[in-house]
Amino acid sequence: MKVKAKRRKLSLNLNPEPEPSIKEEVLSMRTNYRTNTGVRFEMLSQDQLQELVDGVLHLLEYTGLDVYHDEGREILKDAGAWVDGLRVRLPSYLVRRSLDLAPRSFTIWARDGNPEHDIHIGPGRAHFGPGPTCPNFIDVETLERRPYVKADVPVVAKTVDGLPNIDFCESLGTVNDVHHELGALYEFAGMFPNTSKPIVAWSYDRFDSAGIHEIAVSEAGGQGAFERRPNYVHYCEPLSPLVSTFEAIDKLIFAARHRVPLIFTPCPIAGGTAPVTAAGIITQGAAESWMGLTLAQAIQPGLPFFMGGVYSVMDMSSMILAYGAPELSLMMAGLTELAHFAGLPLWQTGGCTDSKTFDEQAIIEGSLSAYLSALTGGDLTHDVGYTESAMTGSVFQLAAMDESIGYSRRITRGIEVNEDTLAVDAIHNVGPNGHYLREEHTRRHYRTEFWYPKLCDRRNYEEWEMMGKTSFKERTVARVRDILATQQPSPIKPETEAVIQKALSEAEERVKE
Amino acid sequence: MSRVYERIGTAIMEGDPEKTAKLAERGLKQGLSAKDILDNGMVVGMGEVGVRFKAGDMFVPEVLMSADAMQAGLGVLRPELLASGVQLIGKVLMGTVKGDLHDIGKNLVNMMCEGAGFDIVDIGFNADPEKFVEAIKEHQPDVVGMSAMLTTTMRAMAYTIKAIEEAGLRDRVKIMVGGAPVDAAFAERIGADGYGSNATAGVDLAQEFVSAA
Repeated sequence: MKVKAKRRKLSLNLNPEPEPSIKEEVLSMRTNYRTNTGVRFEMLSQDQLQELVDGVLHLLEYTGLDVYHDEGREILKDAGAWVDGLRVRLPSYLVRRSLDLAPRSFTIWARDGNPEHDIHIGPGRAHFGPGPTCPNFIDVETLERRPYVKADVPVVAKTVDGLPNIDFCESLGTVNDVHHELGALYEFAGMFPNTSKPIVAWSYDRFDSAGIHEIAVSEAGGQGAFERRPNYVHYCEPLSPLVSTFEAIDKLIFAARHRVPLIFTPCPIAGGTAPVTAAGIITQGAAESWMGLTLAQAIQPGLPFFMGGVYSVMDMSSMILAYGAPELSLMMAGLTELAHFAGLPLWQTGGCTDSKTFDEQAIIEGSLSAYLSALTGGDLTHDVGYTESAMTGSVFQLAAMDESIGYSRRITRGIEVNEDTLAVDAIHNVGPNGHYLREEHTRRHYRTEFWYPKLCDRRNYEEWEMMGKTSFKERTVARVRDILATQQPSPIKPETEAVIQKALSEAEERVKE
Repeated sequence: MSRVYERIGTAIMEGDPEKTAKLAERGLKQGLSAKDILDNGMVVGMGEVGVRFKAGDMFVPEVLMSADAMQAGLGVLRPELLASGVQLIGKVLMGTVKGDLHDIGKNLVNMMCEGAGFDIVDIGFNADPEKFVEAIKEHQPDVVGMSAMLTTTMRAMAYTIKAIEEAGLRDRVKIMVGGAPVDAAFAERIGADGYGSNATAGVDLAQEFVSAA
């Protein structure tokens, strides 16, 4: 049972004990032994998933979408789509072929070559990060809600860089104190130097996209190098129900032509801009994503493509899109299973809340949705750190969710069963009424078997009292401030710094005209 | 010279008994006094272990490894320490009180106290008040520690303290209590000198007692 290799007995004894033969080792091997790693979550059956796929294909073939982009419609038509005015319908073979072309597994690379910051997209891997474009931000010093400004971007990026369970970066806000068309570019320019975790970039239009791309390509070492090791993902958002807007398609075309991994993610609201039923919103939203998929694969076969979204209910009394509703997690779980069934990675949603403040509601809603996202294996789970139904970004919610995600990841990592972990030898050594603290087995495993909280407090009352009787919120605030004071993201290349300055000044010139 | 102290301290922090013993031997060979090796090397290393443990940078299994290393080093130094009349920092007598078969809490305190340089006399579990009294007479400890895991057995702590009083030994020892159902208020009520909420708090208490004496 010991992991140590058995030493062969060799002796000059003329009457030796028989040596253990190789056959014995073979006999102890397992046959047809199935292992499950991690907690498995499964909601819909294969039959149900096939029915959903058929529904999406039917919708795309018989109803279609309005595509507000001349060139986009041309490309789709050339690929085999049926175009009638704005309306584009997709024969199901074309969609199936596009699904085949898009990869299920690929890597988004850290800009600085740090392998711990690479994101490997593939089955059984969930990743987390903030979301974009909240108008407001919780000020790190005053803890008050106020408009999001340019100076907040590095704050968010540095916090992301320092939180172990946050894997990619978005800004948690729309920059309010620059020209209203340049917010996205300033955001990217502020995030890129302040974290080497991959960035998911949105933009207003293709000019923004071009500026962003120039910065990323400079750091990668040219377009060719970028294509081999893409260091950011481009985010586009079509409109529900069933509209591919000009901007969404224009940016998609830019990203596809430059081989930037792409997220095409609608934000349908059940009962408002989508059917009230979970299956209905999934069908419609998937159709909206797959129109983008088909166009992207027609331009750039094999382009990494995330279908997505934020799928939730319209609260029928407040009329908001609920970011803390159980239906969000439920719909996202169904959508994740559909995406994986169809062979695509998913842009998931979790760690967000409708609460206006850092309170119990924020933690319940955020933690439960983050846990569900982890269970479903949502490939990139965004909106971690959203509060007030996406109206206010909070690095404190983000840091609290880092704890919840770590907690969730320990659960999804599951139980390892083998001769060593069964610990029969250790149990024998310790015997009745002994203890395991001195066992080599304990020393070997305790760091990896147990999860160590960063914010949850397990001290006894006296120590907790001695440490100032802090609340979870106080510890979260302290951790964020500590990260901001100490985190040193790896620097970008000096030439990229110059490219950023050039991109910003060119953009300022452009909006002057 | 201080390089040796630093290396011994590091070996303690790394929880490496062989290395600690070897370095202690080397220190003695180089003409350093056992007391200096203890105070400037081992105790400094163990102190750092305590600091890191409290900060959440080290964990119980590692602290125990460091305690093991401390023991190994003390094993090398002990003959000379005794020869030169140097006292270890103090003697702690530990037991789980009558009716209670739980051992691990007490053992943890023992190990950590040993690591801090105390001499430990362990009278085991299910120890009745008379056993405590006899052991105090025999071993002359500075500190008596009592442990209970059960609400039903914690009362035995009060009886034990009473027995120590009746034997006329109460003012010769400091008494500390601990264990899952015990708290500071209970400790005060039964006339103990202190309460430790966990193993390291127990060590801190013992250190407080002997330095105040």
